[in-house]
Amino acid sequence: MLLDLPSTRTEAWRWSDLSALPEIAQRAKSGVVPTALPWIDCGSESPRLVFVDGRYDEARSKAGPIQIGRVLASAPDHALARLAGQQGWSLKLGEGHAAPGLIQIVHLTSGAADHLAAEIVLEADAQASIAETYMGEGWTNRLTVIALAKGARLMLNRRMLGAGGFVSLTDRADVGEGASLTVATLAAGGNDSRVDSQINLSGQTAFAEIGGALLARGRQRHDANLVLRHDAIGGASRQMWRSVADDRATASVAARVEVARGAQKTDGVQSLKGLLLARSATVNLKPELEIFADDVKCAHGATVGELDRNTLFYLASRGIGESEAKALLTQAFVADAIDRIGEEAVREAYATDVINWFSQSSLVPSEVEGRS
Amino acid sequence: MLKIENLHAEIDGKQILNGLTLSVGAGEVHAIMGPNGAGKSTLGYVLGGRPGYEVTQGSVSFEGQDLLDMAANERAAAGLFLGFQYPVEIPGVSNVQFLRTALNSQRRARGEAEISAGDFLRLSKAEGEALGMSMDMLKRNVNVGFSGGEKKRNEMVQMGVIDPKLAVLDETDSGLDIDALRVVGDGINRIMRQPHKAVLLITHYQRLLDIVAPDFVHVLADGRIVRSGGPELALQLEREGYGAIAA
Repeated sequence: MLLDLPSTRTEAWRWSDLSALPEIAQRAKSGVVPTALPWIDCGSESPRLVFVDGRYDEARSKAGPIQIGRVLASAPDHALARLAGQQGWSLKLGEGHAAPGLIQIVHLTSGAADHLAAEIVLEADAQASIAETYMGEGWTNRLTVIALAKGARLMLNRRMLGAGGFVSLTDRADVGEGASLTVATLAAGGNDSRVDSQINLSGQTAFAEIGGALLARGRQRHDANLVLRHDAIGGASRQMWRSVADDRATASVAARVEVARGAQKTDGVQSLKGLLLARSATVNLKPELEIFADDVKCAHGATVGELDRNTLFYLASRGIGESEAKALLTQAFVADAIDRIGEEAVREAYATDVINWFSQSSLVPSEVEGRS
Repeated sequence: MLKIENLHAEIDGKQILNGLTLSVGAGEVHAIMGPNGAGKSTLGYVLGGRPGYEVTQGSVSFEGQDLLDMAANERAAAGLFLGFQYPVEIPGVSNVQFLRTALNSQRRARGEAEISAGDFLRLSKAEGEALGMSMDMLKRNVNVGFSGGEKKRNEMVQMGVIDPKLAVLDETDSGLDIDALRVVGDGINRIMRQPHKAVLLITHYQRLLDIVAPDFVHVLADGRIVRSGGPELALQLEREGYGAIAA
């Protein structure tokens, strides 16, 4: 496959480094599936799906309301998502229907590249909660198209725990009247990533919350690009992102809020924070507000800092060693983003992933180290 | 227990301690008094191992070990507790989590087993109650939103849970009202007034020494101890001021 990839000279891609993708896409895949998959114990017989190298693994899955096959989703304007194709999974819930418990999806890429599309359509007052986990070491490329009708509720949680490789996630969402979309993303593995979310609040009093924590070390790069567009009256949006970078890694978040002329009474809150665990690391934050209505409330803040030396000494004086102190304080730093996850089992699993990230410094693969 | 000999220390190239010598034995409470800028807090930080404080001369041994050769967290694990004049706020970390992490870090460093969740809860609850800190407060983030007095009581809760051999308490009495002073003073006596423990109280005022009676009182001026005596020395200082005695 010939890849036509955007360069860092393009504004929307300036913090991404896609140069390794052609090489990653050529890597051999082993197809090996670990015996223990990272299921979140949510105490019920809820649906579980496994995709291995982009193919649905029926034997390991229990699809529930999820359908596998052709999907109506495309994003021809997006450099990566346009490769997603039209095969994948879909969730369509009729009026007032609720999905049975937490739907868990594990995407395992054992090498090379795999592309999948997904479509989530919730009719009026339908609700679903989905948790996706990305693991492996190839290039995992996904497009998710979401449509929420009046009063529908979708909770979408994602975590990237790959040993290496690259994960690209592109979302296109439309949030209807009084509907609610929450997306929480955690990057706590050894992979690089690019997240693009374009969310339209098209109905009155629609709500969207999109946030997450990006943890990067070695020469890892995480890059999230978010556009929240308010098109109707009385919408509310929340963006809560925490970026952490150690060694020579880069964690970037560009978040834009657009308020259209007619979208009066919009209530937008944006909080972007970065934490540098080493002077050689990079955090990029780009908050943007574009407001064409005059009666709106948009609070925003962006700060980057280091761990406080007084605090580190205070912890040391109580016997806590440097690495443990860093882990404790970083965990506290990202808690703002993780604590907002509604599903308790998911929230706890993500908090554990953050702690594990500190004990797995060997996750950063040598091929990533050798780049640049 | 603690032997400080001819200690010289500087920060940012500025000499603060100028040949300080002091010996603290087990079962003893020593008070260090002195005017502002004498080096009292520096002494606490040097003993605690704060980065940025450079020892240029002299030695400190703690129970026969070279204290200056140890990192701050190793000193804590060896039994040294530093009470802060300005305890630090830690948003996002609860007191309970902080204390448990601290206690278990020290235990692991000493090759001991970690404390069980149940035992820890009982211990922290008991220490909290003894110092007027409810479990609700202990579940809150470390010192965030605490008043000055609450922060100092929290230091004592930490000291009680950690159970050190030597406490170096830097102006633990500052910012306390009379009732809080009593609670903190009683806490020091209860936790530290034991034959195998010792206390170095750094203070400006006599009032804490009315509750925690020192065995020895030292006057620190210009980075060295200029005079030592018994409890009566503190009273004399209170009457005559540092000027007359340190001169």
